[in-house]
Amino acid sequence: MSDERSLRDVAMEVALGLSDEAETAELEARALHDPEVATALEQARARLSELDDTATPEALPDDMWSRITAQLDVVPTAIAPGSVPQFDAETDTILPANEPHAPRNWFIAACAGLAASLVLALALGWSVMTRPDPTVIAVLINDTTGEAVAVVEGTEENLTRVTLLGQTAVPEGQVMQVWTKPEDDGPPVSLGLLTDNRGTALAVDGLPPPGPEQLYEITFEQTGGSPTGLPTGPILGKGLAKEAL
Amino acid sequence: MSELAERIKACAKGDRAALRAIMYTEGSRLLGIAIRMLRRRDLAEDAVQECFVSLWRKAHQFDANRGAAQGWLTTILRNQCLTMLRKESWEIAEDAETLERRQDEDIVMDAYGRLDANSDLRRCLDRLEPPKRIAILQAYVLGYTHGEISGRIQAPLGSVKAWVRRGLIALRECLS
Repeated sequence: MSDERSLRDVAMEVALGLSDEAETAELEARALHDPEVATALEQARARLSELDDTATPEALPDDMWSRITAQLDVVPTAIAPGSVPQFDAETDTILPANEPHAPRNWFIAACAGLAASLVLALALGWSVMTRPDPTVIAVLINDTTGEAVAVVEGTEENLTRVTLLGQTAVPEGQVMQVWTKPEDDGPPVSLGLLTDNRGTALAVDGLPPPGPEQLYEITFEQTGGSPTGLPTGPILGKGLAKEAL
Repeated sequence: MSELAERIKACAKGDRAALRAIMYTEGSRLLGIAIRMLRRRDLAEDAVQECFVSLWRKAHQFDANRGAAQGWLTTILRNQCLTMLRKESWEIAEDAETLERRQDEDIVMDAYGRLDANSDLRRCLDRLEPPKRIAILQAYVLGYTHGEISGRIQAPLGSVKAWVRRGLIALRECLS
């Protein structure tokens, strides 16, 4: 079976809705950057879409617009990479954040102020509370080796502590980036970078509290993090969160 | 570029009037699809609401060169419905188990029957053996998992997976 054939068949399965969530998310993420994948997915969906036209339209409820706008005002934001404080596992303290990188675009510039205040709040918060109890824990597994590569702990306030298990071979010129999917069918959101190849505490504002079955993932990205804001590199490991009791 | 594509682009620039216009033109079609998949109007309305919020947030990812705007939007809705079905399948199944088994069959055959008799999809579905055809229709129209198909048509899970896989390959080859 050639690669092209299997890609087209996987795309049909995704379009049908029978592939699992992780597989669907992966193919959709690839489609953003790989025109061949995008075409396969688009064709598969277009072929089946005729069935959607057989459903009988139904009038929307009158309050639909107000329900939608109420949700638009809560916008998830990502923190600028490199501007999060480091977690020192030995002393159990937060180390001061690095100077934020020079803003690469307006978005990061817009986030820098937010990030600065977050860093302050986080440092204060963490020093008062010391280790907040995680509400979810995820063990990230490498698909190829089947080995556990990292443990991710998340608190109600979206402080995320990442502990790497064993040595990780990071490709030259790349960095590990941590992702999560706060909404099952939403895009992955960056939680930050694991600089210096070590465990870190990461803070992100504007996300809902992490819940069971939430996907966490670490990918290898170019220095400074993914250029697109979505995972582009190979996956070191991924796993679904479980509730911490 | 289609009017819908123009409006999605406008959403990416923060134009709420464009989003509202899309809601008026596409909303009832999407709600119809969601009700058919989720079987409950309240859940279907939630799905449509989430779909428009996602549209707003993902509008910058839309690329008119890569495909039809309506398909892009429908995919967001279908994914939302599937997520809800997977999460709440036990809840819906409880209501559905006894009451709606018959109705499910009707919904699937109705969708099939409404396809244009001259369409490629209809012609290619016709060529599949009935169990493969029904499995594929149940998955797409009702969002069934392999396990649910297996339960509904009283066939072993392994067979259902094989039927779907082979059915899809045959369908794709017939359509291309």
